[in-house]
Amino acid sequence: MGMLKVENTLFTIVMLLYFASMILYFVFVAVRNDKAAKIAVYLQAAGLVLHTVALICRGIGAGRLPLTNQYEFATSFAWGMCLVSLIFVLRYKFPVLGAFSAPVTFLIIGYAAMQSKEVHELMPALRSSWLGFHVSTAIIAYGAFGVSFVLSVIFLLRDRMRAHGFLDEHIPDKEKLDMISYRSVSLGLLFLTFTIVTGAIWAERAWGSYWSWDPKETWSLVTWIVYVVYLHLRIRRGWNGRAAAIFAVAGFICVIFTYIGVNTFLPGIHSYA
Amino acid sequence: MGKKIWKFLSSMQFAVALLVILAAACSLSSFITQGQTYEWYAAQYSERTAALILALHLDDAYHSWWFAAISAFLCLNLLLCNVIRAPQILRRMREEKDPASALRIPETAMAEGVRDPEALFRKLHMPSPAESTDENGHRVLYSVKNSIGLWGAWVCHLGILLLIAGFALGQITLENYVVYGVPGQSRKVGDTGYVVTIDDFRIGLREDDTVEQYTADITVRDVSLNGNGDAASASISVNNPAKLFGMTYYQNSTGWAAKIHVDENGEALQDEVICAGEYLAVADKPDLVIYFNAFYPDYMMVPGQGPATLSGQLNNPAYLYSVYYRGEIIGMNILMPDEELTIDEYTVTFSEPQNYTLIQVKRDRFTPLALLGGLVTMLGLFLAFYIRPSRVYAVEGENGWTVKGYCRKGGVIFREEFNAAAKACGKEEE
Repeated sequence: MGMLKVENTLFTIVMLLYFASMILYFVFVAVRNDKAAKIAVYLQAAGLVLHTVALICRGIGAGRLPLTNQYEFATSFAWGMCLVSLIFVLRYKFPVLGAFSAPVTFLIIGYAAMQSKEVHELMPALRSSWLGFHVSTAIIAYGAFGVSFVLSVIFLLRDRMRAHGFLDEHIPDKEKLDMISYRSVSLGLLFLTFTIVTGAIWAERAWGSYWSWDPKETWSLVTWIVYVVYLHLRIRRGWNGRAAAIFAVAGFICVIFTYIGVNTFLPGIHSYA
Repeated sequence: MGKKIWKFLSSMQFAVALLVILAAACSLSSFITQGQTYEWYAAQYSERTAALILALHLDDAYHSWWFAAISAFLCLNLLLCNVIRAPQILRRMREEKDPASALRIPETAMAEGVRDPEALFRKLHMPSPAESTDENGHRVLYSVKNSIGLWGAWVCHLGILLLIAGFALGQITLENYVVYGVPGQSRKVGDTGYVVTIDDFRIGLREDDTVEQYTADITVRDVSLNGNGDAASASISVNNPAKLFGMTYYQNSTGWAAKIHVDENGEALQDEVICAGEYLAVADKPDLVIYFNAFYPDYMMVPGQGPATLSGQLNNPAYLYSVYYRGEIIGMNILMPDEELTIDEYTVTFSEPQNYTLIQVKRDRFTPLALLGGLVTMLGLFLAFYIRPSRVYAVEGENGWTVKGYCRKGGVIFREEFNAAAKACGKEEE
């Protein structure tokens, strides 16, 4: 129980750090203060490190991987979103991305905070080493799709922004935004494919069928198809730009529906997820 | 005309249209409970909607003719696309290996006046360049990497083809059976010629009364006409199936069974263990049937809702039964262990409640093909996204070297990296 208390405390600190980071990102954009962006990145990184420690504590306290209920998946999803957005912020020197991704991360961790944190023992079907592969790849996939969603929103907003020295300096041009978004979708699609394949292997062992057209499976496939269509249209016909951005936003709506909507409206054999 | 049709069938537009239709069909079907009757849909929606659902085969969408047709067209499209693209990719690879051909391929980045091209190759993580001369006799340094990435989409398409083929063939040839029973009972596995004996069945409980694992010990015997009576045993649990005689045995589910004892005028007539949900025809009066509806290990009656169980423990067992005579129900009630049910000269009692195991037995010869398809798809995506074919060449001129580069899917990011590297290597002007 000690570890779970530590996790609970860390979770609160992580929420505060993400919140502070989000405010500082806003300050960076509103007041055009580069120093605020730097501190926001540090706070985000600190939040990510403590979040990682919190998840490890949860895992030790629960005696298993912390990836099996709505709370655990939501907090892990926020972790994945934070990780991928931080990598993209640093890799492409793009702090404005943080200003847009921090609220999404905060919303997801806020959703986690509303879920029951109770630790339940695993039902027999979940007692498998495939659980770790299946859910952890889903977390990275969802995080990457979240970042592509944020990038697409920035792309669409950039269309409406007046020419502005600060924004021109801190937001890449639309061609680069589109390319970064494409790379984020690529990462997400690769990991979503891992998720589906590892899930199928696990389902074969647990349920005797690797594909049962369960609503969660079906909507994972729908999400996969939406992003595959995005890639085809974008690559093959130069369909990049505004239309691609709208498609990436639609893809993320599918992700959210697969995660929350399916559990709410379409219960199936994945109902515990 | 025929050429036009083939071109359309292999086109990307057709592929995208099929994918959009597939996504729409899957999402729509996910909202409609599958495998129900007209009456069920009529009760849920309306008679008109129910008729529409059945007419469009939306009650079993994933096995409908139109779903199979979409999948078949998708396979045809992928196959044609791959057949057409394979020689194109091979030609492209050949061109990229030959500097003379490669110089004609449009570049996406260029820098002039570079003093140290070798350093630029290193900065861009290109292999050591080969040396050649162009048509004007100028020295040319040329390097290419990751050509294998050209195969990414092709490999991905192949993976999806294998996946769909494996899934479809598996569905067509699938042998799927369900057997259930309590320890000591033997059951035929459909018409396979195998008999499963349940040697033991255990439910592992934790301290908090939650289930940790269901485990069944089974023995399978080959009793077919051509068989030699071979037997094999295994222990199966959830997530740990066993393969015996080419068929896979899965611990699928569990439920309650009980012994039903029938007396006729005080004389023992019949003793049988049946599972909840099963019927027992009285031995010398088969028109009289007892149906074991359900079992409540910790029985209580919830006002307004009916019978329920408080826990999984055998604290207050109760049996819900129905009695049928010539197909007509003549009674339905709860029977406690010390109670008797009397029907004319017959007396019925329920006893010895115990858990039965439900075992799924399956043979799908094409699962490995589908799995291979999934793995190949992942490999294809990795090649397509992360092994980006690149080539860089430098032509010596009077004012230093002119360097050009191309990176498939590198776009503006490659151009920036290229320019930064060129600048660091003594580029005078862009």
